Amino acid sequence: MPLVLSLLYQFGTSAAFFFLAALGLVIILGMMNIINLAHGELMMIGAYTATLTFHAGTPFWLSVILAFFVAAAFGAVLELLIVRRFYGRELGALVVTWGISLVLGQGTLLFFGPFLPSIKIPGGSFSYGDFSFSVYWLILIALSLLLILGLWLLYSRTSYGLQAKATMQNAEMARSLGVRTPRIYTLTFSLGAGLAGLSGALLAPTVTIAPFMGQQFVAPAFITVVVGGATNVIAGAVASSGLLAAVKTPVGMAFGAFSGTLALLFAALIIIRIMPNGISAALQKYLVRHGGGAMR
Amino acid sequence: MSRLLALIGGGGDIGRGRVFWIAFGAVVLLFLLYPTQTSAFRVSNVSFYLLNIPLGLGMALLWGYCGVLSFGHVAYFGIAGYVYGIIAGNMPGDPLGPLAGVAGGLLASALVAGVFGYFVFYARVQKWIIPILTLVLTLLLETFLGQTAGYQWRVGSVLLGGYNGMTGIPWFQIGSLVFEGYSFYYLCVFMVLVCYLGLRMLVNSNFGQVIVAIREDELRTELLGYDIRARQWLVFVLSAMLAGLSGLLYVQWGNYITPSQVGLLQAALPVIWTAVGGTTSLLAVMISTFALNWLTYTLSAQGNQYAMVIIGALLVVTMLFFPRGIVVMLAERIGRLTSRRVSAAKS
Repeated sequence: MPLVLSLLYQFGTSAAFFFLAALGLVIILGMMNIINLAHGELMMIGAYTATLTFHAGTPFWLSVILAFFVAAAFGAVLELLIVRRFYGRELGALVVTWGISLVLGQGTLLFFGPFLPSIKIPGGSFSYGDFSFSVYWLILIALSLLLILGLWLLYSRTSYGLQAKATMQNAEMARSLGVRTPRIYTLTFSLGAGLAGLSGALLAPTVTIAPFMGQQFVAPAFITVVVGGATNVIAGAVASSGLLAAVKTPVGMAFGAFSGTLALLFAALIIIRIMPNGISAALQKYLVRHGGGAMR
Repeated sequence: MSRLLALIGGGGDIGRGRVFWIAFGAVVLLFLLYPTQTSAFRVSNVSFYLLNIPLGLGMALLWGYCGVLSFGHVAYFGIAGYVYGIIAGNMPGDPLGPLAGVAGGLLASALVAGVFGYFVFYARVQKWIIPILTLVLTLLLETFLGQTAGYQWRVGSVLLGGYNGMTGIPWFQIGSLVFEGYSFYYLCVFMVLVCYLGLRMLVNSNFGQVIVAIREDELRTELLGYDIRARQWLVFVLSAMLAGLSGLLYVQWGNYITPSQVGLLQAALPVIWTAVGGTTSLLAVMISTFALNWLTYTLSAQGNQYAMVIIGALLVVTMLFFPRGIVVMLAERIGRLTSRRVSAAKS
């Protein structure tokens, strides 16, 4: 029993890690068809905000919330100044956001130095059987589930969600029905950036706080997104986080962390070979064929 | 012979007509005479700017002409460099060692690119997935090479060296002719010329026309009966081998290579050279690769910490205001001015 629980815990932590790392990215990709390569740097901004405010005496949870708003504001500025000009030009958007990420990473290095003092993981740990469990990671798993629920509610129950989905499906039609699509784009990009900042702040206690810390999230976040696909991003991200965690946990435990990451790349290559548009497209097709409605 | 000339001078790149080729020849002559006018140190620096050009040209071919963007071409640069180091390093004193290393390095980058390309092109993935997966591949390679410190990570007598990298990589040599210093500089000039003229012939050939057609409209090209997957795959492998060539020249130039050569910062550079030059012109990318390498080197040699910030900002500015590339847009302006002058002189 303790062994099963420990395996479940391992699985849950890596699934939560993938989900949190990819969260802001999938919102922006799914709603706007923009790949934001500055995603890692937005997470870094969140982590820096949380770390700086935390060491200035703010309670941890408050600094996490602050990180969300700082990153969201930053995202709104980026959208208004730069990203706005690249709608409909996927590769152009990729390249320009990469330029932004270089400037942000190097700029942070020059401004704040090579690292910040880290945040101690809150909550401590407890043990059951021979295995120890970190309270903080359990909270992160629960928070991931809450975020999934919250996003689902946001996109299915609010007027912003409705307008955003309308804009995504047919921007011209939405505009002629009175939806202010530029505002929807700004809000969505800002929400995605804010969520990236939130994830960065939440993961901050578990990693080293450095200007290039965003890089370590780049590979898992993008693999999650590629495997999930853009058809229904939230369901795709949830499914691919689970699947990738199921690949990484056993391989990583048996052969070490690097082999785990390598297995991820191979899993991603094989999955896109079978399902070129990701899990969410395959799932959608299955549901449509078997009598259910479309997921979105 | 005239067909060959037509192939080189065709419409696939900017820079056509007699005036251009006279200027081109003059620039080549300047490069050939340069070592007689300056110090060995400067010649070595210019060799470094030149040796990056095949990597830039490969990016231009793949991104500008074929419409496929890769963020991970430095991976093939690194693979070729490391493989050359392993093979040539294990055959010390053998004049065939460096040649075997070159063959092995190019083969290794072609092989990795071939396997990777098979998965992405034959799956017909969406456009944005390829840059991301190539980026992930190069980041993984960096992580792998970074943890190869220690004596257990050796191939034959060569240590991989972890984050300190591989050192003592032999010079390139053919028979008893060892390429170092001035001779290496001329090797670089020669390779750049071969790559540029060869690629110009390629983009003006039938194959090149089909590649551009694929970039413009994949579905239409396929319905005309062309196998677009095989062609995209071939271009991908070819550009990976060009990246590999740059990697080979790099390790032969500095005799060392570190994992940071395949890291995120390095991965950004070829994309920046290509974007700043103008993706749809080989000549423009060649010029911008040379110029930006010179700029980066000069900035960092002065101890300027802002080098990468400036280079990154340059990319953002280019994408915002010069979407077709700074060099291409300048060249068009010059072209318009000269043609106006010619027509004014005629009238």
